[in-house]
Amino acid sequence: MSEALIITPLYDREAPGGLAIIMTEVVDLGMIDLRGLPKDKKFMDAAKAALGIALPTAPRTSAGMGDIVCLWMSPDQWLITCPRKAVGGLLAKLNASLEGIFSLAVDMSDARTIIRLEGDRVRETLMKGSSIDFTQSGYEAGTVRRMLFGEIAAMVHVVSEKPDVFHLMVFRSYAHHAWDWIEATAMKGSEVEFLSSAEAPPVV
Amino acid sequence: MSNKPYRVPTAGTGGTVGRVIDRSQMIDFQWNGRKYAGYEGDTLASALFANGIRVVGRSFKYHRPRGVLGFGSNEPNALVGVGSGNRQEPNLRATQVELHAGLTASAQNAWPSVEFDVGQVNSLASRLFPSGFYYKTFMWPQSFWKSVYEPIIRRAAGLGVAPEGPDPDTYEQFNCHCDVLVVGGGAAGLAAAEAASANGARVIIADENPQFGGISDIAGGTIGGEAQSKWIAATAASLAKSGNVHVMNRTTVVGHYHHNYVMMFERVAEHDPNLLSSGAPRHRLWKVRAKQVIIASGAIERPIPFANNDRPGVMLSTSVRAHLARYGVTPGYRGVVFTNNDDAYRTATDLLAAGVPVGRIIDVRAEPSGPLIEAAKSAGIEISAGSAICGLNAKSGGKHITSVKMAPYSTSGRVSGAEEEIACDFVAVSGGWNPVVHLHCHNGGKLDFDQKLQSFVPKPHADPVVTIGAANGTFGLGDLMTEAYAAGDKAGKAATGSKAAKAAAPKAASETEGNLEAIWFAPATGKYNEGNKHFIDYQNDVTAADLELAQREGYESVEHTKRYTTLGMATDQGKTSNIIGLGVLSGSTGKPIPEIGTTTFRPPYTPFSFGSIAGTQVGKLFHVVRRTALFDWHAEAGATWEPIGDWRRAYCYPKGEEDKHAAINREILTVRNKVGLLDASTLGKIEIKGPDAGALLDRVYTNKFSTLKPGRGRYGLMMNEMGFLFDDGVTVCLGENHYLMHTTSGGAERIVEWLEEWLQTEWTDMKVFVTAVTEQWSQYGVAGPKARALLEKLEGDVDFGADALSFMGMTEGTLAGTRVRVFRISFSGELSYEIAVPSHNGRAFWEKLLEAGEEFGVEPYGTEALHVLRAEKGFIAIGDETDGTVTPLDLGLNWAVSKKKADYLGKRALDLPHLAAENRKELVGLLTEDPNEVLPDGAYAVSEVSEKLPMDMIGQVTSTYWSPTLNRSIAMALVKQGRAKMGQKITFPVADGKVVRAEIVDPVFYDKEGERQNV
Amino acid sequence: MLVITCPVCGVEGEEADFHCGGEGHIARPATENPDGISDDAQRDYMFMRKNPKGVHFERWRCDRGCGKWFHACRDTVSMQIFGYYGITQRPPAALLKKADPLWQAHFEAAKKPSAKKAKS
Ligand SMILES: [Zn+2]
Repeated sequence: MSEALIITPLYDREAPGGLAIIMTEVVDLGMIDLRGLPKDKKFMDAAKAALGIALPTAPRTSAGMGDIVCLWMSPDQWLITCPRKAVGGLLAKLNASLEGIFSLAVDMSDARTIIRLEGDRVRETLMKGSSIDFTQSGYEAGTVRRMLFGEIAAMVHVVSEKPDVFHLMVFRSYAHHAWDWIEATAMKGSEVEFLSSAEAPPVV
Repeated sequence: MSNKPYRVPTAGTGGTVGRVIDRSQMIDFQWNGRKYAGYEGDTLASALFANGIRVVGRSFKYHRPRGVLGFGSNEPNALVGVGSGNRQEPNLRATQVELHAGLTASAQNAWPSVEFDVGQVNSLASRLFPSGFYYKTFMWPQSFWKSVYEPIIRRAAGLGVAPEGPDPDTYEQFNCHCDVLVVGGGAAGLAAAEAASANGARVIIADENPQFGGISDIAGGTIGGEAQSKWIAATAASLAKSGNVHVMNRTTVVGHYHHNYVMMFERVAEHDPNLLSSGAPRHRLWKVRAKQVIIASGAIERPIPFANNDRPGVMLSTSVRAHLARYGVTPGYRGVVFTNNDDAYRTATDLLAAGVPVGRIIDVRAEPSGPLIEAAKSAGIEISAGSAICGLNAKSGGKHITSVKMAPYSTSGRVSGAEEEIACDFVAVSGGWNPVVHLHCHNGGKLDFDQKLQSFVPKPHADPVVTIGAANGTFGLGDLMTEAYAAGDKAGKAATGSKAAKAAAPKAASETEGNLEAIWFAPATGKYNEGNKHFIDYQNDVTAADLELAQREGYESVEHTKRYTTLGMATDQGKTSNIIGLGVLSGSTGKPIPEIGTTTFRPPYTPFSFGSIAGTQVGKLFHVVRRTALFDWHAEAGATWEPIGDWRRAYCYPKGEEDKHAAINREILTVRNKVGLLDASTLGKIEIKGPDAGALLDRVYTNKFSTLKPGRGRYGLMMNEMGFLFDDGVTVCLGENHYLMHTTSGGAERIVEWLEEWLQTEWTDMKVFVTAVTEQWSQYGVAGPKARALLEKLEGDVDFGADALSFMGMTEGTLAGTRVRVFRISFSGELSYEIAVPSHNGRAFWEKLLEAGEEFGVEPYGTEALHVLRAEKGFIAIGDETDGTVTPLDLGLNWAVSKKKADYLGKRALDLPHLAAENRKELVGLLTEDPNEVLPDGAYAVSEVSEKLPMDMIGQVTSTYWSPTLNRSIAMALVKQGRAKMGQKITFPVADGKVVRAEIVDPVFYDKEGERQNV
Repeated sequence: MLVITCPVCGVEGEEADFHCGGEGHIARPATENPDGISDDAQRDYMFMRKNPKGVHFERWRCDRGCGKWFHACRDTVSMQIFGYYGITQRPPAALLKKADPLWQAHFEAAKKPSAKKAKS
């Protein structure tokens, strides 16, 4: 397949000046949606054999090794990310390994886009669109959380901390909406600085 | 009338006057079009006082001149419009508007000016405005409702002026969680926040004012042996610095909801144009989940109604004191204090200390005593105990007070005996305190009547929310600090599980105060008429007489009285008036106040901006627009759009001068004669796999799918358990136990959830996985006699031969360098394929299709052509032929409804009497008598056209189009027993008395044998 | 706005992140015996609900999270939530004790020999 044919949903978008975070579209990651039963040892072993890592079974966690990262989506569903070029090979390997085992693996590389958000203000920017408080404990590196973002279904993956790097994943049809939303809420000057040390307030 | 300035000089006051203003920073502002100056730190109200302006508005009903009564958010009178043009904001309280350079503000509800007001005629004619005035007056005749009464009411009812254009500022919302949320930043709130924070809790403390401290600056008392203010400043600073307490000023907690969901309105930048222009949102709406809520919202002073108590210059005692202490202003040059409690004595002594003479303290109590009374006496202020104000004299149309009349008052509520006139130009009045119980009550909190306070205090709440301090009726500073520390510590521990030692409350003390004496109403000695109004609700102009009249007319319930008189229904929601109103009702009914009950407290506590409610969702973020991979291509091709769900689909592609109809007709004929391309990417796509996949399909579709062979597809219908059709589409078999289901565009998310629901909740033994893949694939229809020729031009390994890929077949392969799934299905009746390609390749592949099709005259077609093409073939569309009450049998789709399968969704319901009945509506085709007449969509067929309504309706049009293929109109309709009426004519009364007649025919209008798709 | 905790993935979230699926424990007659369903039984299945004023058993879905269905025990007046349990499970005894008497009667009837499956 020719790479030149690929047009990602946000191909024409560039972050405007004046943002308090760094925002880019991730174009080189592919995604595979994998279903299977965690209590089915054959499935877990076969998946591990194909992926090289054990699928994480703890809710909202991820596991990664090298280029392959497995994100927990549901007790019987994972999203596997890997370099876009490697998706075809990995999917074939998974399907071969899972032959005859109750499971379903599909290429979802084009179904979603990933917006990479970096900087100290990422957490509170997301809190302007989601009911989740990312400043609480429980959102350390590796955490995965599906959520309602603005009006749309989305998922975040805390890729790393210090500085915070988050992947915001949305279905491709919503990519512009999500991008516009973050542009609107991440502008410098609108920082909340929630629960950070502040100057004394005026008193009567 | 000359406007005398009322700014008190600092000299000789020991720095206790004008604490929050900076006299070195002059600020220019505009009021009613004229330029004035104030100081940095002023509110609009204080700056107006400083400029000698006491009339700031006109009352709502009688248009009486009104001045400032309170301070902060409890102000009922001084509603002003701030800003201009698209930044005009109505109904702000002048006592909360912070002065900044360039501020423009104007009075409301006054025409042509606040000084001279035409509406004041209402006041002269006030006998015409009794309670229930609107109900009594605007009744008959009915013909007047719309043309006469409504315009009058609308003109009179408006408060303020709306902005002229789109708001140029930004607004946003913020969601967060905290362990403890403290409402109110006075002594109690800060103490509770400190105690909670000592347990390591994440704390938010919010106060609606620019400055923290509540009324600590004017309440007296000491904490840790020093003035309250010192402790307040130190504590607020250390909490802000701590990093686990978010300290928020200018933030009103406007609502408390289930499970401690709290809404807070933060005025981030409206007070500071520099902040606003640096990118800060004007307002921010906070949605907070708090594990524990502590309400320390204080109390609101209530006035004592007396004759003409609404004259500018009559102010709440604490308001006078706060304006003096904070901004160095007074409402006049010589005051009188009218009270039923000790606290107002502080106002008198503070005024005198600042050089403002106090003509008298008028106390309704017979024998007031205590340190505050002694202090006033020793300062030389004359006290008239056991007395009440029984009248008020004013000049300049009521705008300037000249004196009050006073008479002996007895606890029985009578004034009698010798009147005395006392010269003054303002009155500070205090009738006690009402705890601010609003937030406690928003979410079902109940109240108790406190006899000592003569007001309501909170009962324990079912949610983890507790009220402390003055809001809980705790007024002594020592008790208040002890209560606040205990509540903060308890909440902090409950939220965090901390076992930290309890922080010790600092020692606090305040002067002992005597009890107040209940008084709801100081009667006038004169005649009880329109010249002697006792205002209860200032903003809605409700008087004591109105409440008594309502009682006499039989309005016993307080909820009825409220609505009849409009008591407490203005924008201040009765903050200063509700309890007094209850007191007056108590007096006139003889029932104690607790038996009268309270009205309901509803959010918001104070009005807040629509901008903050909309937040980010304005402009292009107003609502989601979902884009297919071809969105930009469609736009470039000049498509007009059709919203389908949140998607934008191309409706048609007009060329040059073409109108929509011409474009649609051209697109249809292109498909019928050449080849057309459709962006069908929005169709739902679901992969279904597992040993029981076929069995699942058999249960959710009306027809059988488990027999489907790999590479083959079948059209299926889905019913809900009521037997009603709700989705359809082609499902293909990809391999053993592996299927791909297509749903309608609207059903894409719904159906995958539907399948999951049945698998998880009912057929839990089935081994099937379903995964939505809708957006992974862009799907394009290639339809028309030249479809095969076009596709065969593309390089790849797909065999499009009639036998290799027959009707309802599918295959996978590579085409034009892209992985594809090819389906030979048809929604137009033509030779037709749908090609699915990975979405990131969507646009490139589409362009290849166009390129390959150029020699055949290929053109894109939109959703309207799609619909006409399917209607010409009599194909149903979910949402057109179905409306949630239509079964597959109603639509004549019996061939797709299995009799053999034991169980599938909706099967049993089809046998229920109402669905098996003979007289159901059935799908038929319609040909109008006049072939050029296109029936309106949804038109009703009637059994007989008659003058008398209603007519007997026997059916309705479900799809109706101009068919360029047939060169005439066509329609489909659901008609009672329609299939038995083939060949009969039915009538449709349409707009403007016109009647359209149409013949009932078979709904397949074109290519009845279906030969065109089978080539 | 309620706060709901998904017993499957442990997420505590806003009501808007969840979807209420109405009353729980409604047996679908056709799953057991597709041929012998009276019109009355079908009507009851389709339309008749307990709708108590008080403690109720409901189905909820972790709509914006793991996508799984579960049961919640909620007071329809105070909005308090007393607990959660699996979508195929019967209410724990402690929750059943709290529930409206209509529910106790429901599970008394379900104990009778004809009821094969615990879930209904
Ligand atoms: Zn969940």
